[in-house]
Amino acid sequence: MPTSTRVLFPRMPRGPRQERRYLERPRQQGLVRRAVLEAFRKLDPRQAVGNPVMFVVWCGTALCLALTLEPRLLDAQAGAEERSFNALISLTLLATLLFANFAEALAEGRGKAQADALRRTQARTQARRQLADGSIELVDSSDLRRGDLVLVQGGDVIPADGEVIAGVASVDESAITGESAPVLKEAGSDVAGSVTGGTRILSDQLTLRITADPGKGFIDRMIALVEGAERSKTPNEIALTVLLAVLTQVFLIAVATLSPVAGFLQKAPSVVTLVALLVALIPTTIGGLLSAIGIAGMDRVAQFNVIATSGRAVEACGDVNTLVLDKTGTITLGNRLAEEFLPVGGHNVAELAEVALGASCFDQTPEGRSIVRLAEKLGAALPFAAADASGIDFSARTRMSGSDTPDGSEFRKGAVDAIKGFVRSRGGPVPDQLDQCFEQVSRLGGTPLAVCRSAEVFGVIYLKDIIKPGIRERFDQLRRMGIRTVMLTGDNPITAGVIAREAGVDDFIAEATPEDKIAVIQQEQKLGKLVAMTGDGSNDAPALAQANVGVAMNSGTQTAKEAANMVDLDSDPTKLIDIVTIGKQLLITRGALTTFSIANDIAKYFAILPALFAGVGLEALNVMRLASPQSAILSAMVFNALIIPALVPLALKGVKFRPLSAEQLLRRNLLVYGAGGVVAPFVGIKLIDLAIGALRLI
Amino acid sequence: MRFWLPLLLVAGTLLLAPLFRNSQPPLQSHSLALLLCGTTALSVYLFAVIAQPEKF
Repeated sequence: MPTSTRVLFPRMPRGPRQERRYLERPRQQGLVRRAVLEAFRKLDPRQAVGNPVMFVVWCGTALCLALTLEPRLLDAQAGAEERSFNALISLTLLATLLFANFAEALAEGRGKAQADALRRTQARTQARRQLADGSIELVDSSDLRRGDLVLVQGGDVIPADGEVIAGVASVDESAITGESAPVLKEAGSDVAGSVTGGTRILSDQLTLRITADPGKGFIDRMIALVEGAERSKTPNEIALTVLLAVLTQVFLIAVATLSPVAGFLQKAPSVVTLVALLVALIPTTIGGLLSAIGIAGMDRVAQFNVIATSGRAVEACGDVNTLVLDKTGTITLGNRLAEEFLPVGGHNVAELAEVALGASCFDQTPEGRSIVRLAEKLGAALPFAAADASGIDFSARTRMSGSDTPDGSEFRKGAVDAIKGFVRSRGGPVPDQLDQCFEQVSRLGGTPLAVCRSAEVFGVIYLKDIIKPGIRERFDQLRRMGIRTVMLTGDNPITAGVIAREAGVDDFIAEATPEDKIAVIQQEQKLGKLVAMTGDGSNDAPALAQANVGVAMNSGTQTAKEAANMVDLDSDPTKLIDIVTIGKQLLITRGALTTFSIANDIAKYFAILPALFAGVGLEALNVMRLASPQSAILSAMVFNALIIPALVPLALKGVKFRPLSAEQLLRRNLLVYGAGGVVAPFVGIKLIDLAIGALRLI
Repeated sequence: MRFWLPLLLVAGTLLLAPLFRNSQPPLQSHSLALLLCGTTALSVYLFAVIAQPEKF
């Protein structure tokens, strides 16, 4: 059972470093112990064969171990004294394999820990299934099928994913989101109408229609994803695997043909030395860390409480060119507040406040409540009995909401154009002053809401939009990375333009309908751009599916979550920017470590080649002045092994993200990881050689 | 493959071993032949990875 601290995906710790270390230590120790055991299990050749570079090292290790047991296996002239050198090389190669396996196991372990926590929410429960005749039968949650009707009451664990078809209830979703505040679920609501199996209903009751068969629910899919069961190689990973396999193939052929060439020089090297040369030349560093980098990328997204349906989605984030963002909640704070009433048509503020109160009394949105608060503050009273009136919900089509009273009065508030149309349709006049107020509010970057009662316009409510702090700097960063931002808003073009300028977005689409979202995405994709967007409603589903990276809010509908390739458990649309940053970081880390790995070869070449051909005039290549040929080979192998665990933290944490263009990043990568990759092994191999000499290992 | 790979390695070793018989005793000639077959198999495996990377 979940404990009181049921946070499965703890947010990125922001406390002091020491406190974070203290809190994470027990978890880390458990992960490390499991990763060590897993590293040995991964020595199984059936698993090793999945990584071409490390499988070549595996074969080399097996050969060296055989030659340790019987040094004369391949050469009858070989002496027993070679046994200790062969043993040292074998152990170093074995350590290389174990370190690479450890890196992968550590990355996988973090995902498995999350999966274990999720699995605990999946305890089988009894469910009340409603039969066709209306009777209720108790069944095991595993017997529920898609389409079944289920009754859940306060205190029950919701047995499977479903949509609410009747009732209103508050649901504790902390088992999934880590957020303790209950969430209201009700029938007929687009966004609040879906529930997730494993969450707990706190009060009241709901009738659900089950939407997923056993084993195919949201949590099941999350477990499979974080465990890596469904992790297939991403396009970039496949391309890099091919590059590494080609390099390995080239070096394998070169080293295999070296023996007869060396034999021609009367200097045939031992097979163990050739294996060492091969392992030193093939890109073992990136080969050993490649899968760990990918898994860690997924894990970093999960730490942000975002579930990616595939590594491909995370990677696509790194290539995104265009971000399509909703204004409200992403660029501006979600709650716009009523700031002022601007009366028109000879009405005064008090009259406008009274009609605005009448139009907003059924509006439970933060904006609606703020209008009610402002009107009441100005002394307005509701001009009708709320119990006798009926509320009119806002819709994207009508772009207004309000209430109808039994005496036939229609109180409405909404977009100025929509109210104008409404008033005209009822034969009323539209005062010119309305347009002036509209422009006045729009120029301030606010949202003007016109207010009318039946055929009479009363004025405009100034809804103040507050741009999120720091958002302009984030957009500046994105621009430097070559990412274009497009803001979508239902606001009029003047308001949208003011907010777009203040927030620093590159483009905006005003008076946008849900259909506009998909049109913008398609237009950008036709230009060869990769597009990311967020959404929560069923009407967002086509656009989420169309976008290269679609992030659905967990509070959204099941349809939206199924269409998207990521789900944000915190339902925070701003996270799209963080997700793109993680995707970029994943690609940068992979590129940086590949550069480092290939650059490493140069120093190892200068260590092993003079040792291989000692005595035939290649001594000049021994620029590091290594003690002996055997010490040189062993030093290169030890460095080759140690560099993998040394880079594990970087592979798991990711290279520090910098908002630079692709060209600047490439230049920086080449300088830091290319030049660093060339210099570091020279220093490292020399130090190891000195240590081997001091310890008299050879 | 689990059945055919060892069989191919054994067959290759037996076929190639006579090539080393002139310079090496029987154990070493067979080991060298096995090493040659193993290296070839490894090379074929790498070609397979290059051709169908998504399968590995």
